[in-house]
Amino acid sequence: MNPLIDNLGLVLEALGTTLMMAVIAGVGSILLGVLVTVARVSPIRALRVAAFGYVQFFVNVPLLALLLLAVFALPDAGLMLPLTPTAIIVLIVYEAAYVSEAVRSGVNTVAVGQLEASRALGLTLAQSLRLVVLPQALRAVVQPIGNVMIALAMNTALAAAVGVVELTAAVNKINLVAAQPILIFSSAGIIYMGIALAIGLAAGRVERKVAIVR
Amino acid sequence: MIRITRRKAVAGAALAAAALALAACSSTTSLPGDENDADAAAETSSVFADAPVAADDLILPGSTMERIRERGTLVVAEALDAPLLSQQNPTDPDSVEGFDADLAKLLAIYILGEPNVEIVPPATETREAMLQNDTVDVVFNTYTITPERAEQVSFAGPYFESGLAVAVKSDNDEIKGIEDLDGKEVIVGANTPAVTAVPEQAPTANVTAFATDPAAVQALLQGRGDAYVQDYTLLASNAANDSALKVVGTPFTKEPYGIGLKHGDDEFKSFINDWLLEIQESGHWAEAWKTTLGTVTDSDVPTAPEIGSVPGS
Repeated sequence: MNPLIDNLGLVLEALGTTLMMAVIAGVGSILLGVLVTVARVSPIRALRVAAFGYVQFFVNVPLLALLLLAVFALPDAGLMLPLTPTAIIVLIVYEAAYVSEAVRSGVNTVAVGQLEASRALGLTLAQSLRLVVLPQALRAVVQPIGNVMIALAMNTALAAAVGVVELTAAVNKINLVAAQPILIFSSAGIIYMGIALAIGLAAGRVERKVAIVR
Repeated sequence: MIRITRRKAVAGAALAAAALALAACSSTTSLPGDENDADAAAETSSVFADAPVAADDLILPGSTMERIRERGTLVVAEALDAPLLSQQNPTDPDSVEGFDADLAKLLAIYILGEPNVEIVPPATETREAMLQNDTVDVVFNTYTITPERAEQVSFAGPYFESGLAVAVKSDNDEIKGIEDLDGKEVIVGANTPAVTAVPEQAPTANVTAFATDPAAVQALLQGRGDAYVQDYTLLASNAANDSALKVVGTPFTKEPYGIGLKHGDDEFKSFINDWLLEIQESGHWAEAWKTTLGTVTDSDVPTAPEIGSVPGS
């Protein structure tokens, strides 16, 4: 009846690709985003400027443009990777900029006095960031990062434009034969909604566990 | 008598205006050494000269045709990035040229007396939805008639018959056609019949779909695939523009293109089918073919497919 159910195998396989991309890119972008934030608050001016430039660049260039550049321009520069890894790398560097902005807002919730106190206790800068500032900053921004992860999961759909067979590409393919776009794309929309809800609920639970009550 | 004269006068005035508009745009965009464009414009306008206009008694009261005539524009879903079929001129966004685009204008002349077309670029994946919820009147979008699609929309025509063919890089002597694609990396356009046709003909081919034709060509030239399977006419036009690409073999499928209409609108369907017959007989169909698709092939004007000749039409 629903063409998506008739093609369940294809849909599940493609959903697997979507989830795989979202998970790898999610973990990668959080790690890279935290590093970028550290660079942004570091005392070294060159690092701060570089991190600022990084965030501004990726926040202001559309993801689709980045994907097309990575897939079609890099080969001209002599660097050609398979499509799915290329898309995952682009998602990581793109979403890391948003993660970094979220984490930076968390850093701002940590009182300056705490950093000064930790330095006075003899911690190195790296130690005070790792042991004092970042843990508090991250615990303050669970929800914003959860929202970035939801956006990331939705953004995986753009990889369909550059040949990655994820959920959107698969339902496009099914619709090509079945010609029932409203039914097919709303069904796919419900699947994406389920992914977003799951991430949102997970973020809510983590938040309740780690939030700092001040 | 008087009415007909008046309509002819209106059509004449509209054509004169169109000719002026064409002249105007060729003068504003003309650059040194740009004479070809002016020629092309003059050539295109000949397609619309004396184009048939429907008699008033064909515009049935309460019909889709009447609604369109009252609105004054024909709303068409057509591509903006398909060379020779429906391609927007980047320097003059108002001018969209190609076989599909010209036929859409001819249909507008038939209903309205002037080539008044409003284009809604189709996301090819939502053509059926756009017809079902009245976003567009007709779809001119190399829309292959299939029985599954005919359950969701109606098709007038077919107005043209093409087929899928194989393109490779010019230096590739190994692939001679669809029969050599087994086990190869094959690029297709997403949302084209090739997505399903290639696995049927070459079951072990590894198919990668790109969203647009330019992206697919780029991917082929960069070596992401061994071959690119797409509509023959589109490939021929790409190959004519880029010597790094060549078409091998002959088309291996038959793709009858229809004009997509809202499901069940039989009045409008037979009205459009009558119009198709009329422009086939008047030579406007052949003229539209000659100035667009015909410019990249050496063959004569093909015979227009027989209307209603394929399942689903």
